[in-house]
Amino acid sequence: MDLPLLSALFLMFALTMYVMLDGFDLGVGVLLLPQRDQQVRNRMVDAIAPTWDGNETWLIMAALTLLAGFPLAYGILVPAFYIPVVLMLLSLGLRGVSFEFRHNSATSRRRWDFVFAGGSLIAAWAQGLVVGGLIQGVDTDLDSFGGSPLDAFSPFCLLAGVTVVAGYATLGVGWLRLKGEDATRAFARRHQRWLPLAFLGMTIITGAIAISIQPNLAVSWRDHRIALSCCLIAFAACGLGIAWLAGRDDVDDRIGFGLALAMMLSGVVALGLSFFPYVIPFRITLWQAASAASTQEFLLIGALVVTPVVLAYSAFAYKVFRGRTPAEGWY
Amino acid sequence: MHDLDPLILARLQFAFTISFHIIFPTISIGLALFLAIVEALWLKTGDLVYRQIYRFWLNIFAMSFGIGVVTGIVMSFQFGLTFAKFAQLAGPVIGPLIGYEALTAFFLEAGFLGIMLFGESRVGPKLHFFATCMVALGTTISTAWILAANSWMQTPAGVAWDHGRLIVTDWWRVIDNPSWSVRLPHMLLAAYLTAAFLVSGVSAWYLLRGRETTFARRTLSLGMAAACILIAAQVFVGDHVGTTLVKYQPAKLQAAEGWWDKTTPSPTPYLWIIVPDQAGQRNRFQMGTPYFGSIWLTRSLHGTIGGLRNTPVDQQPRMVLVFYSFKIMLALGMTMFTIAVISLWLRWHGRLYSARWFLRTLVVMTPSGVVATLGGWYMAEIGRQPFVITGMMRTADAVSPVPAATLLSTLIAFVCVYAVFFGAFLIFTLRLIRRGPVGLPPHALPSGSLKRDLRPEIAGVQPYLSGTE
Repeated sequence: MDLPLLSALFLMFALTMYVMLDGFDLGVGVLLLPQRDQQVRNRMVDAIAPTWDGNETWLIMAALTLLAGFPLAYGILVPAFYIPVVLMLLSLGLRGVSFEFRHNSATSRRRWDFVFAGGSLIAAWAQGLVVGGLIQGVDTDLDSFGGSPLDAFSPFCLLAGVTVVAGYATLGVGWLRLKGEDATRAFARRHQRWLPLAFLGMTIITGAIAISIQPNLAVSWRDHRIALSCCLIAFAACGLGIAWLAGRDDVDDRIGFGLALAMMLSGVVALGLSFFPYVIPFRITLWQAASAASTQEFLLIGALVVTPVVLAYSAFAYKVFRGRTPAEGWY
Repeated sequence: MHDLDPLILARLQFAFTISFHIIFPTISIGLALFLAIVEALWLKTGDLVYRQIYRFWLNIFAMSFGIGVVTGIVMSFQFGLTFAKFAQLAGPVIGPLIGYEALTAFFLEAGFLGIMLFGESRVGPKLHFFATCMVALGTTISTAWILAANSWMQTPAGVAWDHGRLIVTDWWRVIDNPSWSVRLPHMLLAAYLTAAFLVSGVSAWYLLRGRETTFARRTLSLGMAAACILIAAQVFVGDHVGTTLVKYQPAKLQAAEGWWDKTTPSPTPYLWIIVPDQAGQRNRFQMGTPYFGSIWLTRSLHGTIGGLRNTPVDQQPRMVLVFYSFKIMLALGMTMFTIAVISLWLRWHGRLYSARWFLRTLVVMTPSGVVATLGGWYMAEIGRQPFVITGMMRTADAVSPVPAATLLSTLIAFVCVYAVFFGAFLIFTLRLIRRGPVGLPPHALPSGSLKRDLRPEIAGVQPYLSGTE
């Protein structure tokens, strides 16, 4: 059996879970910025408070799968994206503690909300820098990173960062419309009309530039043209669908959020396919970076046995907090 | 900036982020068990004081858990940020261990934490208690995995070299390496002791001010009873940790005891203060208790031990750091032991809640568990130097290829942001303590609400309070 391929699939699974789940958490955080009403802000944070921790755990899972399954790549990629990774970690940290701190303070709550929103924005943007950096390519020197820590701050990467923010915000409005009532829902409805279109447009622009600066991408896209076309059509259809349905009140709010998840999923799958079979795009394949079979086996047994249990009680946690967030909060 | 040493900066950044991180899991491992016990007592007896204790500590638990989570995410990347060569060599060994930690502990804690904090009115008391237990179980499982990973770095086993790579030959020996089975209970007991002294210290503060006496007496009683059992167990386990060191990491123990001579004088004094001269391989000054070293370390009046010169100079840790880290932990452990004994005597005479000098001591001891735990970890980690994996990889060979200036700027950024975390945590915790559990209705709210009562500034506008006050 091709163990490294299985590990890579598990890595992609964890990353996809992260992007979809923490994506909407971060998106809700970003959306605090244009929201001035303190009551609505409280409802927005309440909508993600009980489950954010589990969503973020998928990021740890992905990082550790990379460390265990592809240590060579972990040791190159983390130093390569040193500054974006530190930016992301500090922002996720500030945002994470704001959940508790804003809850414990009334006088400084606005300030913690700003930290919360700013942390969400920078974390999302920093993740986009990494995506951009992967597309433009990482300089390697034997087993080490050979470039400069500022490589990931090229104009292209900055643009990719904004695209990811738009994507997370699209997920965020979907979740808010689903969980919110009255003013919160109306706020979500308003922004749901343009955010998916912005995400779609930004992705098209980013993709067009990507192909001009990274010739390997064109080769890769020719190799997977059918699967990639399906993904891109699904991506565009979901984006247009959300924007079209946003104005209608006779449609279940779950459909808008489901389409946002599908949009993000097709985007992540497309990106994964473009990089396949490289773990460091167009330089080191997943088989070259893979750890020995004894590690892959041990990791995969755990992943296959425990992940269904994790998914089961995570789903239970969502079920406990199903429905619209109570107007007085969870407390 | 070309004269900055990336090795020192990488070590400082790793040390700072992990030292800061470990404070919060230590508190939350202990508090999670405490909360589970208190909730069990509440369900069993129906005594409302237990419920009040649960509510009060839940909020402090939530804050320390939150900081533990976000600083923990940092650690899963820190291996690559600062020690990428270590990650590439040891990733196949410790990566799956920490991966299992995420799978079996982090998700468990995260899944049930939401229910523990926000869900009581939605799931009912039994399921809520189950959620508390799952969070407590998660913290314990998490400790087991991370201690397996760290203990493997201390006393590696179950691996073989293959063309410059490490290949795992036996996973059970990697996990149950020679030091795991003693270091795991040592750390768990440390965390439980931390919580015991934390809750006792806060209760003592209330008793000294004559506030919240019912609440404070019950908490103090629980905390000190736990401390008595825990410190007795810790003395026993700590001794076993020492025995393991003699066998597998002698240099660490040699440095921790402060002797350089190949064979110490007979009888050996027990050293308390030293001014070591690492280059000269001697102490400029030393002070100790006569005979005590022989009695304690060799269980005989005239026994001798080996000093650090038994270890080749290029494999020695820095004695001054290891020695004082160990002595801080040891001194605090001995103080805790003394306090536990005194508490039994006071309890016997019915003065546990009234002996003001004792209560004042407990207030001073509130953070003692955290300090002792940090001391122990510094001894463990600095004592392993110059290796990052004992005998297999030197720390100097493990550093990431990141420019020193970049390392320095992110170190400063981590210090600044973590200072915000720490400051806010202290301010909010002290505010909650100053406010106290007073103002809470002594009965459960119809909504089953747990946390609403504790929001200090907002409590006044709660409908049920404005109705009754």
